Amino acid sequence: MIVRKFGMRQSRQLLAMSRRAPISARFNSAIPTGEPVVPVMPTQEPEPIIQADPVPRVENPLVEMMSAQSQAKTPAQQEESRRSKFHKLGTSVKASYDPENILRNPPKPSQVTLEMLLAAGTHLGHSTSRWNPQNSRYIYGIREGVHIISLDVTAAYLRRAAKVVEEVAARGGLILFAGTRKGQKRAVVKAAELAKGYHIFERWIPGSLTNGEQILGHCETRVVNALDEVLSEFKADLADRPSLKPDLVVCLNPLENVVLLHECGLNNVPTIGVVDTDADPTRVTYPIPANDDSLRATCLIAGILGRAGEAGQVRRLKMAAEGQTTYKPISAAELRLDPFTGLPPGGEAQKK
Amino acid sequence: MDGLATFWPGGAALGQSEPAFANPIFFAPATSFALVDLLSSQQYLIAMGKINLTALRVRQTALSQFASGKTSKLPQWVDVVGDIPPAETLVRTRPPQHQLVQQRLKTITGTTKPQVVFQVQEKRRKPKKPSRTFMPVELKYEEDQLRTEFFRDHPWELARPRVLLESTGKDFEHYDWSRIEQPGKRLDGESVVQRQLWLLNNVPDISKSTAYDIARREFYRLRLKEDIQRRVAAEEAAAYGAEFGPSYMDIGMQQESEQYDKWVAWARNQAQIQGQRAAALSGAPDLGTENEVDAVEADESEEVATQ
Repeated sequence: MIVRKFGMRQSRQLLAMSRRAPISARFNSAIPTGEPVVPVMPTQEPEPIIQADPVPRVENPLVEMMSAQSQAKTPAQQEESRRSKFHKLGTSVKASYDPENILRNPPKPSQVTLEMLLAAGTHLGHSTSRWNPQNSRYIYGIREGVHIISLDVTAAYLRRAAKVVEEVAARGGLILFAGTRKGQKRAVVKAAELAKGYHIFERWIPGSLTNGEQILGHCETRVVNALDEVLSEFKADLADRPSLKPDLVVCLNPLENVVLLHECGLNNVPTIGVVDTDADPTRVTYPIPANDDSLRATCLIAGILGRAGEAGQVRRLKMAAEGQTTYKPISAAELRLDPFTGLPPGGEAQKK
Repeated sequence: MDGLATFWPGGAALGQSEPAFANPIFFAPATSFALVDLLSSQQYLIAMGKINLTALRVRQTALSQFASGKTSKLPQWVDVVGDIPPAETLVRTRPPQHQLVQQRLKTITGTTKPQVVFQVQEKRRKPKKPSRTFMPVELKYEEDQLRTEFFRDHPWELARPRVLLESTGKDFEHYDWSRIEQPGKRLDGESVVQRQLWLLNNVPDISKSTAYDIARREFYRLRLKEDIQRRVAAEEAAAYGAEFGPSYMDIGMQQESEQYDKWVAWARNQAQIQGQRAAALSGAPDLGTENEVDAVEADESEEVATQ
């Protein structure tokens, strides 16, 4: 059928014939528009417009094209409909890799598989000459002069770390996600968003924990209740409090953040870190042996930990709605006490 | 000790009750707790020598600080870290030992049905050095040798573009190497290697070279088909009016001829100058050197004047 039509078009007689000028598409009422117009009654509530196909789609686009051509009357209409159907020809690629997907929709800790970790490249370590022998436990073997991290160990440690994040989130702890390498910004922010935590994607300012009053003194602090609603009446009591300290620090690149981890050690804060074969695993409380140089790998790990934090937050808020807490809440009187002397407001004056 | 085993190197090998331990990181459980109480974490670090265990002992530190009255409240995470103890980072284990295993189908004399035979690489006669006990071992697979052989014979196969990305990591599930073409995989050297391996594993009494020849022949045939397809597509497109522009060879030839044209112009100019010089010198052969310099200067001054 197609061959015959092409033959007709190419014939000299057809070329010699006088043709009508092509009709512009916007004047052509025969072509169906994309969305069906649904009349909305002013008295009724606005209903969601159901976008159902008015014409059931034929499986083979060629058949569809031919039927549309036979319906069209003028040559211009035929040409127009042929052009519109032409773009539907061919295949549609479904299962293609989208690098954004891992950022937009990170997997849950229960969905972690070894294939997923392998595809993200978490198993690739460093050159054998650069290894830290303390990591020998996590190394599966040597391939082409590069240490290969054992994927099942990575998965086990990742799940353990995810459990910690979830439990700390469920107890209302402050979680800080730190990833200061180039390109880790979005992953870190996304993880912090999910876990309702905090993030650092630029340099860790040394002394932010040990000298917090000087460095973070101007930052805003809030008192919230169990349902995360801000209680503004306590604003005055927050005036001379020491700066807040995180309850858990997740570090995606411990090699560059030695100072952060050292300060966490001094302030007794548990830490989770992605430990490559050249990093020191004793710097963090919960190491996750994985490749910290691949953005996809760190993105995946940050996303999984973020999801774990999200689950913990959901659990905490659900319990709070029922009037329960997994932690011992601080009372209003306790909050009003002087942070340094432990006396009620104006207590020192009365003492004198 | 809170379930933490902190012996390095090799607590299991040397025994926990070994008193003469060279490194000062070894300590008895009873004294260690007192150490934490007495020393601040900074001093503790120094006392420990090289390895810093502060991060691993956050819970103990928090508990002791609370017990001694340094902190008025236990942190929220204390029971979490108690329930999920930190990893046994410093315990060394023997790394997995990898051996090269080959699978073959062989007909054993006296039987009709071929049997699957596994051949393991021989162990080295000289045992490993004791210091290498805890070192990771090289990963070896049978394909490695096949791959080396193929790419040694076809080095230009390495120059072809290749997809290294895996979206799910489950691509291998769709592959069936009983045939060389795979859905979603471009035909390349790796196809030959995997096909050859499949033949070696599944065809009875096949030799390596026979399997290589079979896989290679299939590969060559498909490559030829690809070439023909590409040529026909180009011809078809050209028949419908496509223009592909000049080829790389044409561009190269054009650039070369441009350079030749430039040279011709330069050479003509040089020949003219030399001819003028020869004409000027023909009258007075004794004053050749001075005249030459003068002539060049005169030329230059003329050029400046014309500019």
